[in-house]
Amino acid sequence: MGPEHWLYTIPLRLRSLFRWAQADQELDDELRDHLERKTQEYVAQGMTQEEAHRRARLDLEGIEQTKEKCRDARRVNWIQDFMQDLRYGLRMLRKSPGFTAAAILTLALGIGANSAIFSMVNALVLRPLPVDTPNEVASLASQPHGFGSSNGFSYPDFEDIRDQTTSVFRDMTGMQPSHMDGFSMNDQSQPIWMSYVTTNFFQVIGISPALGTFFQPSDGRIDGSDPVLVLSYTFWKNHVGGDPNIVGRSASINGRSVTIIGVTPEGFGGVYSIMDTQGYLPVGMATATLDSPKDFLTNRRVGNIEILGRLKPGMKVGQAQPILAIVARRLSAQYPEIHKWDWLQAFPGGPLNAAPQDAAVIESMAAFFLLLVGLVLVLACMNVANLLLVRAAARQGEMAVRAAFGAGRGRLARQLLTESLLLAALGCGGGIVVGVAASRSVNSINFASAIPVVFNVTFDWRVLAYAVGAALLTGVLVGVTPAVRAARGNLNPLLHESSRTATGRRQRARSVLVVAELSGSMMLLIIAGLFVRSLQSVEHSDLGFDPDHVLNLTISPTDAGYDEPQASQFLKEFLQRARVLPGVESASLAATIPMGYYNYGDELKIEGYETPPGQQQPIAGYNAVSAEYFRSVRIPLIRGRDFLDSDDRTSQYVAVVNEEMARRYWPNQDPIGRHFTTRNDSTHPIQVIGIAKNSRTQHLTGSFRPFFYRPFAQHYLTPVTLQLRTALPEATAFHQAVDLIHSLAPAMPVFDVQTMTQALDTLNGLLLYKVGAALTASLGTLGLLLGLVGVYGVVSYAATQRTHEIGIRMALGAARSSVLKMILRQGLIVTATGVLVGALLAGAIGRLARDLLAGVSPMDPLTYACASGLLAAVSLLACYIPARRAMRVDPMVALRYE
Amino acid sequence: MSKPSDLVQGTLDMLLLKFLALEPMNGFAVSQRLKQVSGDVLQVSDGSLYPALHKLEQEGWITAEWKTSEYGRRAKYYSLTRLGRRQLEKEADNWGRLSSAISRVIKLKEA
Repeated sequence: MGPEHWLYTIPLRLRSLFRWAQADQELDDELRDHLERKTQEYVAQGMTQEEAHRRARLDLEGIEQTKEKCRDARRVNWIQDFMQDLRYGLRMLRKSPGFTAAAILTLALGIGANSAIFSMVNALVLRPLPVDTPNEVASLASQPHGFGSSNGFSYPDFEDIRDQTTSVFRDMTGMQPSHMDGFSMNDQSQPIWMSYVTTNFFQVIGISPALGTFFQPSDGRIDGSDPVLVLSYTFWKNHVGGDPNIVGRSASINGRSVTIIGVTPEGFGGVYSIMDTQGYLPVGMATATLDSPKDFLTNRRVGNIEILGRLKPGMKVGQAQPILAIVARRLSAQYPEIHKWDWLQAFPGGPLNAAPQDAAVIESMAAFFLLLVGLVLVLACMNVANLLLVRAAARQGEMAVRAAFGAGRGRLARQLLTESLLLAALGCGGGIVVGVAASRSVNSINFASAIPVVFNVTFDWRVLAYAVGAALLTGVLVGVTPAVRAARGNLNPLLHESSRTATGRRQRARSVLVVAELSGSMMLLIIAGLFVRSLQSVEHSDLGFDPDHVLNLTISPTDAGYDEPQASQFLKEFLQRARVLPGVESASLAATIPMGYYNYGDELKIEGYETPPGQQQPIAGYNAVSAEYFRSVRIPLIRGRDFLDSDDRTSQYVAVVNEEMARRYWPNQDPIGRHFTTRNDSTHPIQVIGIAKNSRTQHLTGSFRPFFYRPFAQHYLTPVTLQLRTALPEATAFHQAVDLIHSLAPAMPVFDVQTMTQALDTLNGLLLYKVGAALTASLGTLGLLLGLVGVYGVVSYAATQRTHEIGIRMALGAARSSVLKMILRQGLIVTATGVLVGALLAGAIGRLARDLLAGVSPMDPLTYACASGLLAAVSLLACYIPARRAMRVDPMVALRYE
Repeated sequence: MSKPSDLVQGTLDMLLLKFLALEPMNGFAVSQRLKQVSGDVLQVSDGSLYPALHKLEQEGWITAEWKTSEYGRRAKYYSLTRLGRRQLEKEADNWGRLSSAISRVIKLKEA
């Protein structure tokens, strides 16, 4: 259709849209004019005035119907209808505020819970990396034979892989995993979460600086050269005051002076989805500011470089796999003593995606919680659908009148659907408010860490789309049944139903609705119970040490510019003074704390132990600790001796091993006095001097792994945690300790200051269990509430519908108590069915949660019993209240009713 | 919208356009003319006529104007637009082709 067409039609459409009243008036005039003339004509043919008028009207086939057809002929009608429906819907909602409030609140809770959970999933799984064209970016992982897959590579391997895959990858960047360093500027020190990257990092991810420049290709070629630092926007803004003239200023990282050359753009938090990388140095600087081996740029045996590649335009990740497989084979053939790679693959997205096991766990967790919260939405929908059905029954009269006034069946259905969508829209608005509040509370989770964990749960367009989608679906789902009924237009069954007897079919449908609601609530309750029990179980599990009354203060002497001898001197002095502080029972040092974000491990060569063929070399975790450590954390020594202040670099290297290590590597022997060496330091044989009881180090669950302790004075590590066991109140003790540190070293930054109990609330520790329990408990409560409201609504409506029947029964001599019993018995049957069905379904989805639970079986009988009892009690209460009301019915009133 | 059953789909539009091509007239006059011309063969009820006129107006083929009629009363007069004239030609062409094709078929001799 040409422009000429629009020239005519647009003004018409606009007119019918905005001058609606006038257009309608004209239609009225036109038809009245026609009627009058037609009547005159019939009169002229000899009819009486009355007869003529009747005939003219008949010819028009009903004035109102014809008018409606004429309105239909105007295309924009649907907009008008919609506006009209909307106005009408709003009026209806205003007229019954109780119903409206209940429906909107229910939907808001359902949609809010959904968008909150979805926003977490979005933050963890869906949101793409904050880089240019994120779908071109992929990260690499390899599968060394006999080990778990790994996304860490040596620097020479990185260079080989980069150079041999140029046919599919435009470029590749390598990154040392982030590391906590000390940042000092203007005599102020603070921790900084640093990434050491190849100089093409920013080109590969494709961002430009907010201030200054990024690295030059020549930076960082020579290890330890080019001390140039790029800061993240948030670090620049929040930690160094957002100074616009920061470029060119000097600062220091771990005591080594660097020049700040640029700031990343706002909103860029690095390529790890939940950790905010705060600063970047060229990878060559890792030897200067970290304890990386001096030769890590050339040594193929060491290094933990993560590789991020940018595919050539139009290339798919799948096209890279065959090329990577060839490279893997080539490198494995070239360095057979180093590499035995089963595969080398690219994974779309950032380095976290290249850890397939972790990604799979996160995805299945996400799916599980979406399932649970979807269930909440279904419950909310059922409640609102039920409310709407009840109302639809009450509105039959109104519908009949509207039909008589020329409204088509479809039009009536549309009206009802508009009303339910209006409810859904209002519910969606409320849901977004609920969702934002809920995700705020998720954002405020304390991760017990100086590492900038940003669980950045925000409402971006994805979450908004999800919420609106959920609302739309809800609106259609809850509106469709009443709408279809209206469209089917057979008002007779509706009329019949509302009269004397409810038909058996309706009754059954209502029972099915109640059973469905109850089983949904039951599933949510059981899952909540399982998670709460799981949390209790890990909280009360035997850690193998005693976290009470222990304070942790983490410092990094390197950040204050201390080298090892200076730091040792400082730590020695600190311990001496701390031990005589009032209230302090013991003071010690440790390189790592249990469930912390640092841990160390090494491959061992054990005297007298042959690695059985086909098994991997012995690997053990370790901690470097000072004398009195075992007293501070109360890990019992089973045999042998504790470390002494005299165990230092000049004496025999020694270790205390845990029971598991003793059992595994010296079976049926006495390990004390035996020796082993570590791969990192094969020149100093370590003598076993004691055996400690097994204790939890990295995981709260699972079997114990081989672990050993070595004297801090023989194995210096930084940062280091000072531990005090003290009888004083926390706050006083912290104050005391921080004062002592600063009296000895005024510029020493103290990172984490927390009790050992707080320190357990980490991602490795209790945090996930606590978050899981809190989430499922909220969903369970919501489910119980919705179930209660649903059952109450259905039962009380059914009771009202049966008022007449109950009246007859009572008039015929039924006792009040037997009426009560009748309604309660039905409630009981429905409740029992709901609980049973819910329990069966919970058994099925509980299995999905098996990996997320600790110390409790997914079929935990106590949980099932408690959930059943609670739900049954609540459900019977919801039945009892309307039953009592029905029982009070006066037979005379009931019979006269209607 | 219900259509008179004895009119081929779309022909009512063509007839209305043709009438209005002869002279602008109001709805009542169109209904009279329909009856006169077709000699009661084409039964178009008033209830179908007005929605059809409104549809044509909405399509931009005819345009309406309020004028004082010969009886001294305000009435709505419809007239053909340029677009409507083109549409009429198109439909008339189609109709010609269709009817000649059908009559050729009907005139086929039985063997």
